[in-house]
Amino acid sequence: MTSKMSLLTRIIAVIGALLLVGAIFLPVWRIELTAPQYPEGLVLKIYADKLGGDVEVVNGLNHYIGMRTLHEKDFVEFQVLPYIIGTLAFFGLLSVVVNRKWFFYVWAGFFVLFAVIAMVDFYRWEYNYGHNLDPAAPIQVPGMTYQPPLIGFKQLLNFGAYSIPDMGGWCMVATGLLLVFCVAFELKRSRHARRSPYNSITVVAIALLLMQSCSSGPQPIRFGEDACEFCKMTITDKKFGAEIETQKGKIYKFDDIHCLTSFLKSGTLDTQQVKNIYMVDFASAGNLVLSSQCFLLQSENIQAPMGSHIAAFANEDSLRSFQQQLNGKQVSWHEVNQ
Amino acid sequence: MAIAGCMAYMSCKPSAGNDAVSGDAAAKAYVPPGKYDELYNFVSGGFSGQTSVYGLPSGRLLRVIPVFSVDPEKGYGYSEETKAMLNTSHGFVPWDDLHHMELSQTNGEIDGRWLFGNANNTPRVARIDLKTFRTAEIIELPNSAGNHSSPFITENTEYVVAGTRFSVPIGDNTDVPISSYKQNFKGTISFISVDKNTGRMNIAFQLETPGVNFDLSHAGKGPSHGWFFFSCYNSEQANTLLEVNASQRDKDFILAVNWKKAEEYLAQGKGKKKQVRYARNHYDESTHTAVSEILTEVTMLDPKELKDICYLIPCPKSPHGCDVDPTGEYIVGSGKLAALIPVFSFTKMQQAIANKDFEGEYEGLPVLKYESVLHGEVQKPGLGPLHTEFDGNGYAYTSFFISSEIVKWSIKDLKVVDRVPTYYSIGHLCVPGGDTKKPYGKYVIAYNKITKDRYLPTGPELAQSAQLYDITGDKMQLILDFPTIGEPHYAQAVPADLISKNSVKFYNINENKHPYVAMGEKEAKVVREGNKVHVYATAIRSHFAPDNIEGIKLGDEVYFHITNLEQDWDIPHGFAVKGANNAELLIMPGETQTLKWVPEKAGVYPFYCTDFCSALHQEMSGYIRVSPRGSNVELTYSLGKTESESTQPNN
Repeated sequence: MTSKMSLLTRIIAVIGALLLVGAIFLPVWRIELTAPQYPEGLVLKIYADKLGGDVEVVNGLNHYIGMRTLHEKDFVEFQVLPYIIGTLAFFGLLSVVVNRKWFFYVWAGFFVLFAVIAMVDFYRWEYNYGHNLDPAAPIQVPGMTYQPPLIGFKQLLNFGAYSIPDMGGWCMVATGLLLVFCVAFELKRSRHARRSPYNSITVVAIALLLMQSCSSGPQPIRFGEDACEFCKMTITDKKFGAEIETQKGKIYKFDDIHCLTSFLKSGTLDTQQVKNIYMVDFASAGNLVLSSQCFLLQSENIQAPMGSHIAAFANEDSLRSFQQQLNGKQVSWHEVNQ
Repeated sequence: MAIAGCMAYMSCKPSAGNDAVSGDAAAKAYVPPGKYDELYNFVSGGFSGQTSVYGLPSGRLLRVIPVFSVDPEKGYGYSEETKAMLNTSHGFVPWDDLHHMELSQTNGEIDGRWLFGNANNTPRVARIDLKTFRTAEIIELPNSAGNHSSPFITENTEYVVAGTRFSVPIGDNTDVPISSYKQNFKGTISFISVDKNTGRMNIAFQLETPGVNFDLSHAGKGPSHGWFFFSCYNSEQANTLLEVNASQRDKDFILAVNWKKAEEYLAQGKGKKKQVRYARNHYDESTHTAVSEILTEVTMLDPKELKDICYLIPCPKSPHGCDVDPTGEYIVGSGKLAALIPVFSFTKMQQAIANKDFEGEYEGLPVLKYESVLHGEVQKPGLGPLHTEFDGNGYAYTSFFISSEIVKWSIKDLKVVDRVPTYYSIGHLCVPGGDTKKPYGKYVIAYNKITKDRYLPTGPELAQSAQLYDITGDKMQLILDFPTIGEPHYAQAVPADLISKNSVKFYNINENKHPYVAMGEKEAKVVREGNKVHVYATAIRSHFAPDNIEGIKLGDEVYFHITNLEQDWDIPHGFAVKGANNAELLIMPGETQTLKWVPEKAGVYPFYCTDFCSALHQEMSGYIRVSPRGSNVELTYSLGKTESESTQPNN
């Protein structure tokens, strides 16, 4: 039992501090923008102390929709961030010298607090820029706002905006993960606890969470708004519909299983790209169910929008109960998709 | 771990759209060597000021026709005969911005006779003769600026119209403050009559309109024949920062003009004569020479006083395209900042006018109620709708600049049925015959504003890009990408045989009435008139006659009048002389063209044929000797005379 840090923690603390120093100079976050007329893409890079990338091009485009132009001097964050990150790095190194666990814990705590506040602040800026639009802007789409996503992808008119950490951000993410690991490691060591798998499970769970967080599973179909990818008609009947999720997370929506199978046959999408197929549960309007868990009923009495005469059910019982009214026969996905 | 996270995030960014073409695209666009294309495609050259002619579906460039810009390659605007084509009330204007093409029509169908083009900068309309693919006439427009909504035509080519994109002060006092826009600035719409036999153009009348920006137009047809529709923006009447100040109102207008009614008022003498100055230039094919005249009067009709000529239809958000479907019943307005496409009904418009269903007046003109005139709206079609063409099967094709796509929709139920990306940011589009009563269909061509990565890079300046799509199936299919000359705006396409059968192969030399023609080598001569020296020269494979000329003195102006004596297809001769401050001549068989040359130093100057005409083309050359002022070298000329025969003293 000791209040001193382990050698491993001290080494990691040095690495973490150095990563933070790197984050001062490397871009922390990036927002990538693509549009039909920008096949090469545009990028906004956010450093600790400045903006980089195609700031002027983005400012030029934003005036059409009345977004304020981005200027470094408008962000007090750029004045203070390098010092805050520098101070955090300094205290990280100091923890190695002081070599006390409580000091290390406080440092780790402050770092996590900093990360949370920074993300909240980033969200606030995105919200303000996306919502405070010039009422005299030439292009005004009713109800449209232009807040970029905090993390992940969002379509803003003709631009797809993709927001992710950049090198500096990944340095910080790595620092955070290392610190969480060290804190867990130190706590375990000080408790003389039995070797428990929980810590490594925690780390793995966090990592998995990170990797999973954007493969969002099925995206709800907005009935009356979304159009069928194949027949281009608006999806309106909540009892029917289907969705393809690709390996890359792109979603294709359909109004009928017939359109889904026709789309798959058209070769527009490489079958290797298909990750999951979902179908609307006939019994619970609008609910999407994995195709592998669906039970399909084919009947002339089922009036599917594009004439497939097929309804999908989340469980066999509801299929049976509807089959009593609708007759028809149960079919397999394999039969339907051939 | 961080890298794993990084990879995970990268994987959820959607990949860029797949622009690969499918398997049979190449076959659909392939025209074997030596075979003719199915269609002519006449494409405006935008800031090049010219018209380019492509074959479709191959996308092969067949010819660039000089219209509003000089073209040294063809001597257009450089030869003495063609300079007058570019005369205006502002003098010789060597450039313009040609935006739109319109083929002449009879009974609402393309008749293959003439092609019209507009000059946006110094307002003019040109007529190109499709027998020769040459600019035959250019008429200037007085009381006009920014001639953009032009040169659209009525269904029997009764009129070509021209509307002002830039309103300006007109009349006697035009020196007014720019800020007095609302009081002093006016738009005009000119109706140019076209003689149905000769094609000669004449401004029949002008309408004085509110000071807005007229953008595009199309004539009614069938039941709506007798009407013309013009989109306009800047109903805010802003004179500065238009991108913001002209985008404030929810609705601008489509101006519906009853031109038959205007004709009645004109016949009743209700027009006012206005004193103006404008040029009209006509290329006389018998003399091979342009004749320029300055005209001084137009007749103006005021629709504020003369009721029932003009009605305004509210149209959302700065309408751009204004297109009439083949039946003549539906008028499609494309608000370039709107999130929908309104389709107006001609029948409903007539009812609304009969019922005086007005929501008020704008600048003294009645404004119809939007709902009373509306057939329906295409909801959420895309971003930035610009122009619409029709396939004759009930479908409309609208270009979308911002979302960079062509959207196909059904006119009957206003439902979107297909969409296809363009590369990138399409402006105009063209379905062959797509603005006539009987579209040919089969293809739609996208004319784009942005090229970026479509072709090998050529520095900062890139060719513009066009795409050809097959529209015979349910889905539009991209089959070809081809670069264009200048910036393509509106274009027309027509089945080739309508035009190719009339194509002139050469000019009959016996009909050559050029004042300086030499009808054969025997007529070749050099004549001095004061300090002007006229060289009546002939060109035939492979020599000029004469090819030795002496006795030119400094201070002389030399006019080389070259007659191409060939009477065979595709044997042009060129002519260039060292030090000439203009360009070459390119002389077609049977034609005479003149190059003015003012030598500035004594010496001997070679001239030669620039168009590889024969096996002995390199030998087709000559010399002209220039002596100092006051020299006593006699004026002589010869062909084939050797030194021993020469009697000319050599001093």
